Amino acid sequence: MLMQLTLGGFAQGAIYALIALSLTVVYRSTTVVNFGHGDFVMAGAFLSYVLVVLAGIAFLPAAVLAMLAMFVLGVFFSKGLIRPIRGGPHIGLALMCISAGYILRGIARMVWGREVLPMPPVFDIEPIFIGNLVITGDAVFIIGTVFVLLVVFFGLLGLTDLGKMVQAVYQSPRGARLIGLNVERFNDFSWGVGAALGALGGILVAPISLLHPDLGASFLIKGFAAMTLGGFGSLGGAVLGGILLGLAEQYAGAYLDSALIEITAYVVIVLVLFIRPHGLFGRKAVVKV
Amino acid sequence: MTELLHVNGLSVRFSGLTALDDVSFTLQEGAVRAVIGPNGAGKSTLFNAISGYVTPTSGTVHLKGQELTKLTPHEIAEQGVRRTFQNGGLFPELTVLENVLTGLHAQIEGSFLDILLGRSKALKSEAENIHRARELLKLMSMDHMADTRAGDLSGGQQRIVEIVRTVASDPPVLLLDEPAVGLSPVARAQMMEIIHRLAGEKGVGILLIEHAVELVMAAADRILVMAAGARIAEGTPEEIREDRAVLEAYLGHS
Amino acid sequence: MSTTMPTSRQRRLRTWAFWAVPVLLLLTPLATNAYTQFIINGMLISILVTLGFTLVIGNLGQLAFANTAFFGIGAYASAILSAKLGLPWIMTIPLAGALGALGGFLASSAALRGIRSYYLAIITLAFGELMRWAYLHTKPLTGGTDGLPLPRETMFGISLSDDTLKFYIFLAVTVVLVKATLNLLRSRFGRAVMAVRENEVATASLAIPTARVILTTFIWSGFVVGCAGALFARHVGHVFPESFGMLHLIASFAMVLVGGLGSVLGAVLGAVVLTALPEYLRAFPGMEELFFGLIVAAVLVAMPLGLASLLRRLSPIFVERYYREES
Repeated sequence: MLMQLTLGGFAQGAIYALIALSLTVVYRSTTVVNFGHGDFVMAGAFLSYVLVVLAGIAFLPAAVLAMLAMFVLGVFFSKGLIRPIRGGPHIGLALMCISAGYILRGIARMVWGREVLPMPPVFDIEPIFIGNLVITGDAVFIIGTVFVLLVVFFGLLGLTDLGKMVQAVYQSPRGARLIGLNVERFNDFSWGVGAALGALGGILVAPISLLHPDLGASFLIKGFAAMTLGGFGSLGGAVLGGILLGLAEQYAGAYLDSALIEITAYVVIVLVLFIRPHGLFGRKAVVKV
Repeated sequence: MTELLHVNGLSVRFSGLTALDDVSFTLQEGAVRAVIGPNGAGKSTLFNAISGYVTPTSGTVHLKGQELTKLTPHEIAEQGVRRTFQNGGLFPELTVLENVLTGLHAQIEGSFLDILLGRSKALKSEAENIHRARELLKLMSMDHMADTRAGDLSGGQQRIVEIVRTVASDPPVLLLDEPAVGLSPVARAQMMEIIHRLAGEKGVGILLIEHAVELVMAAADRILVMAAGARIAEGTPEEIREDRAVLEAYLGHS
Repeated sequence: MSTTMPTSRQRRLRTWAFWAVPVLLLLTPLATNAYTQFIINGMLISILVTLGFTLVIGNLGQLAFANTAFFGIGAYASAILSAKLGLPWIMTIPLAGALGALGGFLASSAALRGIRSYYLAIITLAFGELMRWAYLHTKPLTGGTDGLPLPRETMFGISLSDDTLKFYIFLAVTVVLVKATLNLLRSRFGRAVMAVRENEVATASLAIPTARVILTTFIWSGFVVGCAGALFARHVGHVFPESFGMLHLIASFAMVLVGGLGSVLGAVLGAVVLTALPEYLRAFPGMEELFFGLIVAAVLVAMPLGLASLLRRLSPIFVERYYREES
């Protein structure tokens, strides 16, 4: 029982980790929190659905194509809608993100209406039984993909020159500008990466859930909860926060009340912000007054 | 002359770092006392500790015998110790008149409910204070700017409006944090004139942080010299000019 | 560069117009059919929702998204009090306002603990979603997914399902709350709210209790929006959890923004313009979201100060200030 829940929690948590990480990538480089990110996740899931079910492309190339498309969308969003209001108040930026999300959601609903779309299973692997523990192909696939991705991501960030430069920008955007980095382009790129990573979250959940245009809303909150728990702005914290949230949901749902699964994220946000606002791994939140 | 402000053994430590080290002085009615010192000497910490933005680790601040040390910034301001800000504390989106009126907040009568219901008690007091604010602006020849957005004023005009706003409630003590920084020579002269008038005519006790040496020497009766959080000298401008420790603090560090 | 201020004649005209508009509106039931009347009633509710929202995000400058939560609390309070306790609906309006104000108090307690900016946005978003979860999972009280119908009721011998009667009540509540809010804004309180937005540290140095200003603004915002919730409950006759989700939030946002952040006139304009249009879009799934999304994005880029700023350019009579010279 405990093992089964833990496995489920890891699979869910891996998705949350991915979403929180993609939010953090954008936040760290641009200081914008993407309040429309849930809909980017949803768009990723729908794109993969279109490519797999309607265009008949195999899942893996479809996933890559969907991520590329979302990367381009993220870059265009940054160039076209964020740049013109950069330097304005936080409220404007938050609103812009929300409206971008709503545009995506509106488009999805215009095409699919109130239908709920089932995605065909991708990896029809026979579940593995170890004692009472059932390991499904999906769980292996999700955890495996996210794990590989995290290794690549943190490897690039920590070991390559590009990654070191990115970290330098995170430390001080002004310094980055001084050494001749085009910060605007870098920000566009970060939006692209954030959108693509978020979309991957959607692509990974697509085969195990029903698709509908409002799919993103709950993922946004889970992403926020994971970020808050791990420490807002910390890349590693986002990942750990995501995993912990996935586990907490499973345990709370099984041992307390299944209705609690939906609100674990909200409760986490409220409790963490009130008790330990800088999260488990973040630096202390500085309030600008 | 009555003693207004009495600062006794004021110290501020942030996690092992001593930002302010056992500073004591008094400020009399109508006196202008300058605080000078190199960057990082603790001048701003001294202001923040007196005005309640930083909690002193030890020591006390009294205004006319009443202790201020444990009070919050708005309570200290209400007691009559008001300050300006080095980077300018005006509200740029409000007009000049509205900015001055914020300085009269505590003077305007009427409870929340009076205001909500538009009771005449609140309206009357509001009208009286608007009149007062306009008079104050007239004294500084700023009345023609009353409806200008504060953010659209020149640097010098902003400093003046900030001072008008700060003294609108007739506080006995005024803390000025680098009021002349970035001002033209003409505006500096005007600032000095304002400081003289406030101290001389209204008897306001003024504590002044300033880097412009000629302004300090001309405006202050007494000068407190600080370095590394502590007082290193104190005296009249003439005494300070001759003081070896002061010369060393300045020349040694720059 | 001095702003042209309204002359005293224009100020008198403005006061006169403020009362003339609702008086003229009293005649609308003579000229409208039931459907148009229903939409106009919805506009009055939107005005209050937008007003409460703009106070917090525009005037106080706090990124708090709890507005929809206040609205839901007000609507459910009104429905529960009339359906379960048998209170006359009209009595539930101030009570719904009081509970909305309690919601405002809770939201402000986050802001006062230093949870600001994006953190405040996230925690208030969570607050709204928690409330929606609560409506769904307290079935005996709220009816869960089935929602809660308001009981049939009459006033002055007329059924409260009559849109004309509702219109007069809604209009009275709206005028009173808009007027009270204007009184607040054009006083030392309104200036203090703006001052906190502009520079909180400097505000405290002027003997203004900033914490109390923040608290009071949230509470008043919650009160106004809570009252609007009670009107909404009667307007639709049946409250459902879905009415208080993200779509309502983005619609309120769009109204605040299209009208002009932090402007009472803007709240009214935004609510009027954006309540009517989407009614016609509702038949096409997805259009509502697309419409609000595109409108907000377009306004942010092209007209960040909203419709109110256009009117201000037209005549100084529309200039809003935070003091009141005439007594």
